[in-house]
Amino acid sequence: MTTPTLTGPNQSVSRATDARVSVRDLRVRYSEAEPLVLDGVDLDLHAGETVALLGSSGSGKSTLMKALTGFAPITSGDVRVGDVDVARLRRGQLRDLRAGVGQVFQQFNLIGRLSVLTNVLTGSLHQAGPVNVFGTFRSADRRRALELLDRVGIAHKAEAEARSLSGGQQQRVAIARALMQNPRVILADEPVASLDPKMSRTVLELLQSIARDEGIPVLVSLHVLPLALAHSDRIVGLRHGEIVVSGRTADLDAEQLAPVYEIDEEAEED
Amino acid sequence: MTTLEETRRRPSQPQLDPRARDRMERAFRIPRARFVIGGVAAVAIFLWSANGAQFDFLKLGEGASNMGEFITRMFPPDFSKIGTILLLLLETLQMAIVGTVLGAVLSLVMAFGAASNIAPAWLYYICRWTMNIIRALPDLVIALMFVSAVGLGPFAGILAMTIGSIGSIGKIFAEAMEAVDRGPITAMQAVGASKRQIIQYAIVPQALPMLTSYTLLLFEGNVRGATILGLVGAGGIGLELTTAMNRYDYGHLFAMVICIIVLVTIIDQASAIIRKKIT
Repeated sequence: MTTPTLTGPNQSVSRATDARVSVRDLRVRYSEAEPLVLDGVDLDLHAGETVALLGSSGSGKSTLMKALTGFAPITSGDVRVGDVDVARLRRGQLRDLRAGVGQVFQQFNLIGRLSVLTNVLTGSLHQAGPVNVFGTFRSADRRRALELLDRVGIAHKAEAEARSLSGGQQQRVAIARALMQNPRVILADEPVASLDPKMSRTVLELLQSIARDEGIPVLVSLHVLPLALAHSDRIVGLRHGEIVVSGRTADLDAEQLAPVYEIDEEAEED
Repeated sequence: MTTLEETRRRPSQPQLDPRARDRMERAFRIPRARFVIGGVAAVAIFLWSANGAQFDFLKLGEGASNMGEFITRMFPPDFSKIGTILLLLLETLQMAIVGTVLGAVLSLVMAFGAASNIAPAWLYYICRWTMNIIRALPDLVIALMFVSAVGLGPFAGILAMTIGSIGSIGKIFAEAMEAVDRGPITAMQAVGASKRQIIQYAIVPQALPMLTSYTLLLFEGNVRGATILGLVGAGGIGLELTTAMNRYDYGHLFAMVICIIVLVTIIDQASAIIRKKIT
């Protein structure tokens, strides 16, 4: 396994051979009239590691996550999830890709009126096929969903409506839904931005333990530096669509990460 | 601590136009020109319409005594034919139930095609136009069409109600589905769900309270509507109402009106309870 090193924006990143997710020189532009949202991004995600993606609003964190699942257009560069070349996928194939990528969102995105158990079961929809027209899921899937709810510590709420849960509980259900997909990787886009500090720590600890125990790489975008330092194995800092910092969390301190949040006077005046 | 003045003077911060600031700080604002013009235009259109429609409060005042006389003639209500009234009211209710169920099911199917977040553009326009055409047709005309197709009786009334429902409720169903939160849809796309699964798990469960609420509203409307459809021989209590009016049998007429009011009130209350439970 390649040991990630602290790199600046112009320094090369060695290509890892065992990366579950590999991004090379990724450029993303939503339309011809708009500037690049991501500009030459390189990133590897390895089994069992939690990578914190830092950057201020508009730095390209969400776009990077979207590019990994085909929700954002890949203008140029190479994006691979497992052995799948994301840029070359057609619509039907994108569904197959997404089914293998667990996603956790800031606003949880649960179906509020459905039970917690059903919400977790929706993670297996891709395998369910056209037979479950009436919303039935196989016993094996139900058993696994309950096990996952045990894993995230919320099995006692399995029959409750998702909307009746607190924010932290809902996010744990969302994580169980992502695990239900048997994902190759988990992408968590600001998963704690709507949670209080205590709940934020709980959710991030859960994500990190999942990465470690299940051997799944977890990419988690965050705004809060102390949380990133406490709950990640590696940190990648984005600024204006470019990676400005990348390295092992243990090797980084707040000073080294400062460029990520450096105030851009010109941008502020705009 | 930074004072408000210091904050205002900070050079790098975008500044609020001082005139806009003054305007916003005033307790009573001078209405904007477009608001004044819009208000005057609205009043002018209303007066123009009232004149065209021969709306005349004076005339109503002069005729109030005739109305009083008409109401007096309806007293006392004649419940001697209560058996007939209840049977016809039951038929009206049954028509409304069948018409509502069929109408809601067909409206739901049509709404899937008329919701912009579900249907492709070509289907969206076909469904929207179909509903517009149905909505433009008066209920009585639809009823007459079905009376001529299947003959007099409640069956024609049910068919009229069913088709009429698509025009009225189909559009609202489609809009309820369009208004759902996008979050769960994104989540279902993210797990690799198919279009059908996204509708089933992310759209319908979110829209369900609205769909149920509007179906109940449709049912209330259909009960009232069924009393009118009888006028063209499409079953229900409507025909009996017309007959009583033609025969100047106002006591019997009033008894029917009271029964209809009771039925509609019960349905209204029951609907309110159900609506409260589902939302």
